[in-house]
Amino acid sequence: MNTLGTLVRYELLQLVRDTRTILLAVVLPAVLLPGILVIGNLTTEADEERVRDTSIGVAFLGSDSGWARSLVERAGTVPDSLVGDPLSMTFHEGPAADSLIGADGLQLLVRAEGPDDRGLPSLEVRYRASSDLSRSAADRLSARLERVRVALRDSLYAAGGLPVDPAAVLPVRTTNVAAAGREAGALLGTFLLPLLVAMMLTGGSLVAADTLSGEKERGTLETLLTTAVSRNEVVAAKGLAIALVALVMTVLNVANLGVWVGFGLMEIPAALDVSLTPGGLGALFLLLLPVVALLSAVLLLVSGWAKTYREYQLWFAPVFLLMLLPSAAAALPGLELRSAVVLLPVANVALAMRDVLAGRGDLLFGALAFVVTSGAAVWASSAARSTLSTERMLADSAADRAEFLGGPALFPYRVLRWFGLMWVVLLGLSLAFGERLGIRGQVLVNLLGLFLGASVLMLRRYRLPVREALALRPVHPLVWPAVLVGAPSGFVVGIGLAEITGVFLPVPPQVLEAFGQFLLPEGMGLVQLVLLLAVLPGITEEIAFRGLLLHGLRRRLKPWALCLVVGGIFGLFHVSLFRILPTAYLGTMLALVTILTGSLFPAMLWHALNNAVALLPVAAGWVAPDMALPPWAWPLAALGLAASFWTLRRVGAGYPGVTRPEGGG
Amino acid sequence: MAFLRDLRVLYLRELRSALRERSIVVNGILIPIFLYPFLLWAMFTAMTFVEGQAEGFVSRVVVPDAGPLPALVTALESRSDVRLDDADVAPDSLDARLARGDLDAVVRFESDAGGLLADNPTVRIAYDRAESRSRRAAERIEAVVDSLRARRLMAEATGLGLDTVGLRVFALDTENVATNREAGRLILALMVPLFLTLMVALGCFIPAVDTTAGERERSTWETLWTTGVSRGSVVLAKYLLVATMGVVAGMLNVLAISVALGCIIAPLAGDRAADLALGLPLQAVPVMLAVSVLLALLFAALMMVLAAFARTFKEGQAMVTPAYYLALAPLLLSGSPDRGLTPALSLVPVANVTLGLKDAILGRGDTGLLLTAFAVNAALVVVCLALARSLVVREEVVTGAFEGSFWSWLRSRRRTSPSTPNP
Amino acid sequence: MPPALAAHPMTPSPMDPSRASAPAAPLESDAPLTVEVRGLTKSFLEEGRGEVRAVDGIDFTCRAGEVFGLLGANGAGKTTTLRMLSTVLRPTAGTARVLGHDAETDGEAVRRSLGFHSASTALYPRLTAGETLDFFARVNRLDPSKVKPRVDALIERFGIGEYADARVEKLSSGMKQKVAIARTLAHDPPVLIFDEPTVGLDVLNAIALLEVVEELRAEGRTVIYSSHIMSEAERLCDRIAVLHRGRILAMGTLDELRDATGLHYLQDIFVHYVKAAEA
Repeated sequence: MNTLGTLVRYELLQLVRDTRTILLAVVLPAVLLPGILVIGNLTTEADEERVRDTSIGVAFLGSDSGWARSLVERAGTVPDSLVGDPLSMTFHEGPAADSLIGADGLQLLVRAEGPDDRGLPSLEVRYRASSDLSRSAADRLSARLERVRVALRDSLYAAGGLPVDPAAVLPVRTTNVAAAGREAGALLGTFLLPLLVAMMLTGGSLVAADTLSGEKERGTLETLLTTAVSRNEVVAAKGLAIALVALVMTVLNVANLGVWVGFGLMEIPAALDVSLTPGGLGALFLLLLPVVALLSAVLLLVSGWAKTYREYQLWFAPVFLLMLLPSAAAALPGLELRSAVVLLPVANVALAMRDVLAGRGDLLFGALAFVVTSGAAVWASSAARSTLSTERMLADSAADRAEFLGGPALFPYRVLRWFGLMWVVLLGLSLAFGERLGIRGQVLVNLLGLFLGASVLMLRRYRLPVREALALRPVHPLVWPAVLVGAPSGFVVGIGLAEITGVFLPVPPQVLEAFGQFLLPEGMGLVQLVLLLAVLPGITEEIAFRGLLLHGLRRRLKPWALCLVVGGIFGLFHVSLFRILPTAYLGTMLALVTILTGSLFPAMLWHALNNAVALLPVAAGWVAPDMALPPWAWPLAALGLAASFWTLRRVGAGYPGVTRPEGGG
Repeated sequence: MAFLRDLRVLYLRELRSALRERSIVVNGILIPIFLYPFLLWAMFTAMTFVEGQAEGFVSRVVVPDAGPLPALVTALESRSDVRLDDADVAPDSLDARLARGDLDAVVRFESDAGGLLADNPTVRIAYDRAESRSRRAAERIEAVVDSLRARRLMAEATGLGLDTVGLRVFALDTENVATNREAGRLILALMVPLFLTLMVALGCFIPAVDTTAGERERSTWETLWTTGVSRGSVVLAKYLLVATMGVVAGMLNVLAISVALGCIIAPLAGDRAADLALGLPLQAVPVMLAVSVLLALLFAALMMVLAAFARTFKEGQAMVTPAYYLALAPLLLSGSPDRGLTPALSLVPVANVTLGLKDAILGRGDTGLLLTAFAVNAALVVVCLALARSLVVREEVVTGAFEGSFWSWLRSRRRTSPSTPNP
Repeated sequence: MPPALAAHPMTPSPMDPSRASAPAAPLESDAPLTVEVRGLTKSFLEEGRGEVRAVDGIDFTCRAGEVFGLLGANGAGKTTTLRMLSTVLRPTAGTARVLGHDAETDGEAVRRSLGFHSASTALYPRLTAGETLDFFARVNRLDPSKVKPRVDALIERFGIGEYADARVEKLSSGMKQKVAIARTLAHDPPVLIFDEPTVGLDVLNAIALLEVVEELRAEGRTVIYSSHIMSEAERLCDRIAVLHRGRILAMGTLDELRDATGLHYLQDIFVHYVKAAEA
C-alpha cells in the first residue's frame, strides 16, 4: 500500500513538473476551445439573423399569377405569433425562371396553375436548397400559405353552416406526464457520457502518453522493474494515476465551461434543468466508476503496447474513437438497457446513466452494466500487465528483425494490414457497385477478384510455401464423415443458439433471420446456385481466411483467440450488420476445424456444405422459407456437432505451430 | 545547379525516411484512406439498426373507455404498430404505469362542453415526453385522430351540401429547383474545405516535428549539419518534404471523403442515388490544388519554426500544437452555405482560402478576392520562411539551446543583438 | 538440490563434462553464498529461425565480499543472464537464487536484495537527485523511518549535496552517474549487479565507478560485474567467468585462468577460450 502511494505520488509529481505539456495540452485548449465555440455560435447567430431579417425576393410564374400574388400578400400579413418566424418580402416583376433563384435578390418563385381536372387550383413554392436564404424562405412562406388556406377553408365551412370551427372537430389535447426534470435528464443522458469520456480520455492521456511508453523510451521502465515493486503494483499505481488525472481534468474542464457560461459567453439550453435525488446522483457516480477504471486501463494498455511516446499517440486516436462510440449509445433512440446491449461495456453504462437521469433507473440491469464494464476494466488491466512482460518487449525487436528478413518472417506482421485493405476495397465495391453488379457479379468479383486475388498476391509477395501456408495436407479418413455430420449440425445449432439468446436478451429479428437465411437470388438454376454460392465460397474464402489469415496469425495468438479473431474478421467481411454475427459463428467453427485437423480441405467441405444446407432446401422448393424446425432437431444437431468435433479432435493431426485447443465446439 | 542537385538528393532522402516512418505513413496516408470509410460504415449500420429498432416498437396504448369514439379504437386496432392493452386495471394506476414505462400512452375522452356538434369529444392523450417510444406512441395516435378528423369533416361537408373540392381551396407544394449535382456540390462545399485544412495540418504535423526535433533526438541533426551541403538546402529540402506530406494527406483525404460519401449517401438517397453527383466541378480542382499547396506551405513553415527549438519529439509536438489550432480557424465560420469570401474575410489567413475554395466548389465567387486571399497567405509563408532562415543561421538554435522553447529564444533576442550569421 | 549445495560451500560448480577445459573454481573463503545460478537457460522463439538460445545452461555462485566478473563480447548472453537474475526475464530452464530466494517464485524478495545498474537503466529526468533516491528507497521497501537517514547518507557519501535539489535532466553525465549509483544503493542491498556500467563514460568517471565497486566489496557486498573491457575485469574481479554464445567457457580467479592457459593477459586468455570454442 505504501509503495503504491509512493509510485502514484511520484507519477503525479513528474506530470506536474512537465510544465510545457500542462501549458500546451491543458491551459491552451481550455482557453481556446470555448473561445472557438463562442465565435462559432456568434457567426451562426449572425447567419440566422441575416436569414430572418433579409427581405425575400419573390417572383411569380404561371397562368394565374395575380391570384397567387394576392395569396402571397395575404400570407405576409399572417401575424408572426401564429407561425413563429417573421417574413418580409419584395415582389419581382418581369420574367422569372428557375435558373434565377438564388441569385440577384430572388429567393423564391411561386408558380400558380388554374384549376386542374378536379377543379383544384394549385400553388407551388419553388426554392433552391443550396441557399440557406431560399430554403428558409420557402419553409416560412409555405407555413404562412398553409395558414391562409386553412383560414379560407374555415370560412367556407362557416358559411356552409358548420356549427363549430373545423379545428374543434375531434380536438386533440396532450398531457405530458413526465416531470420537467426527468425530461431534461433524458436529454442530458444522451450526451453526458460521451462528453465525460472524451474529457477523461484526453485528460488521462496526459499521464498515459508518458507513463509506460515514455518510460520504455527513456529506459526507466527497466530500472523500475529491477526494484522490489511487483508488476501488479506498477500497473495499479499507473492506472490509479491515470484515473486521478482523468477525473481532475474532467472536473477542471467542466468548471472551465461553467466559467464561460457564468460570464454569459455560452448558453446552456433551458431544457437542461435537471433535478436529481441524492440517490440518483450516487447511482450516476457509481456507474461512472467502472468507466473510469476501464478508460484508465485501456489507456495504460495502449501505453504499454506502444514502445515510444509517439507510437502511443499513433494508437490514441483510434482508441479514442473506439471508446467514444459505445459511450454515445444513449443518443440512439430506441436502444434499451434491457437488451443485448447490457453486455456491451460502456454502452450499457451510457444507457443506465440515461435511465437514472430520466428517473427510471433499473437496479438489476444497472448492476449488470456495472459488473460487465468492471469486468472489461479488469480484463484491460490484466492485458496492460502482460505488456510489462519483457519477453514482449523483446518480441517487438523480433518484428523489426522480421522486417529486415522479409518474406515469410514478415508475413505475420503484415497479414492484418492486408485484410484491412481488403475490407476497405470490399466495402467500397459493395457500396458503390453492389446494386449494379447483381449477385452473380458480386460473387465473382469478391470471391475470385478479391479473396483469391489477394491470396495469390500475398503468397507471391511474401514467398510463402503454398502447401504449408494454405495447410494443404491430407487428413485421416474419419475426418470426412465427421465433417458431413458437423456442417449441417453446426448450421442448425447456430439457429438454435440465436433463438435461445433471443429468449434471454431481445435480439433484433433481422439477426435471427440472418442465421437461417441467405438472400435467395432470383432466376438462378440449382447447379449455378450450388456452384456460385456454396462451392466457390467454400474454396476461395477458405483459402483467404482459414488459409492465409490463420497461417499468418497462428503464432501470435492463443488457439481460442485465433479461432475467435479469424471468425470475427470473417464476419466483418459480410458488410451487412445482421450478417456479421452468423458469419462470425461459422468462421469460428471453420477456424476450429482447420486447427484441429491441420488441413484446409475439411473446412472447405464444411463451408460448402453449410452454404448448401442453408440455400438448397428453400431454393429447390423442398421446404417453405419460413419453415420452423421440429423441436427434436436441435438436441440432435447439438449432439451431431459435439460428436463431429470430438472425432476431429481424436483423429485430427493438429495445426503445426498451434497448440491444440482444450475442448471442442 | 549544384544547389538544386543537393536539394534533390536531400529531398529524396527525407522522402524515403518519411515513408518508412510508421507514424507519418499512418497519419498522413492510412488514416485518410481507412478512417472515413470505416466511420461512415459504422454510422450507416448503426443508423439502420436504430431505425429498425425504433420503427419496430409496438406502442402499448390503453383506452379505458372507448364509448365516445369507438372509431378510434377500431382504427388503432387495425394498426400493426399499436397494441391496445386491457383497461381492467383501476384507471387511477394508468398514469403510474405510464410513468413507470409499462405503458406508452393513455387515451381518454372529454365530452364537448359546447355541444354544438354531436359526437365530438376532445381526445386527450397522456404520454411521457422523456421516453422516445412514448413520444412515438403519441405521434401515432395523433396521426390516427387526424385522419378521423379529416374523414369526419368530409362527412359533415357532404351533409351540409358543400363542394368538397372547393373546401381544399388550393393545393400547396414546395419544390427544390437545385439539381442533384448542386446538392452534391453543396455537401462537398461544406465538408471539403474543413477536412482539407485539418488534414493538411495533420499531414504536416508529424513530419514537421520528426524532421526537426526528431532528428535532434536521434542525433542525426548534427550529422547532417556537418556534411558538405549548405544549411539552406538542408532546411529547404526538409521544408518541401513537410509540405509534400501535407498536400498528400489533404488530397487523399478529399478523395476518400468523396468516395466514402458517394458510397454512403448514395444508398441513403435511394433512387436519386445514381444522379447525386458528388464530383468536384472541374474549375474547382485547380483552386483546391492551389489551396492545399498554399496551406501546406504555410503550416509547414509555421510548424517547423516552432519545432526547430524542440530537443525531443515530445517537446516538438507540444511546441507545434498552437499552429495546429490555426487549422481550426475555418470552423469558426459557420456552416451556412451562403457565407462566402468577403473583402474583410479575404484578409484572414487560412480561413480566407477555405472560403475561397467553398465558393469555387459552389461555382461562384470573385476572382479578385480569391487572389487577395492567396496573396495574404503567400505573404505569411514568406514571413515564416524569413524567420526560419534567421533561425537556422544561429548556432544556438542548431545546437539546441533555449531549452527547446521558441519563447526563450524570443526573450534572448530582445536582450542581445543577433550573432553574426555563419557563412 | 540447491539447499544441499548451499550446505557445502566448498562444492565447486558442477561442470558439464563437455566443458572440461574450464577450470573448476573453488574459492577459499568462509563467506556465505549469496548468489547461486544452476543450469540457467533462456531461449527465444523467432519466426523463420526457430528457437534461439541466448543463455544455455550456465552455473555459477558468488559469495559475500566478492566481485564476480562476467566477461563476454556483445551478444554473449551477459545481459540476458543478469536480467534473469534480477527477475526482469523469466528463465526457460534452470534456477537463479539470491540470498536463498528463488528468482522465479520469489521475485520480489530477490529484487529487494539486489541493486541493478546498467547503461540502460535510466533515471527519471524530471525528479531531483534527492527525490530519485527517496523514490527508489521506498519502492524497494526500505523501512519508511530509515529512508531519510539513508538518503542523507548517500548524498553525503557520493558528494551530491550541491545538486541534490536539481532535476536530473539538468545534471552533467558525471553527476547523473553518481546519482544512478546512489539510487542502486538506495535500499542498502547486499548484492549488486553492474551490467557494462562504464559504457559511454569518460576515463575519470569510469575510474570513479571502479573505485565505488571496490568500496562495495570492502563493505562485504557481492558485486556481479559484467564487461567486455579486459582491464576492468583484471583490476576488479576476484573471479571471472568467460561467457560466449550463452555458455560459460571458463571460470576461476585470474591466477587460475592464467595457470590453466599459460597466458598472462586476460585479453589473451579470453581470445584463447573463444577461439577454442569456435574451433
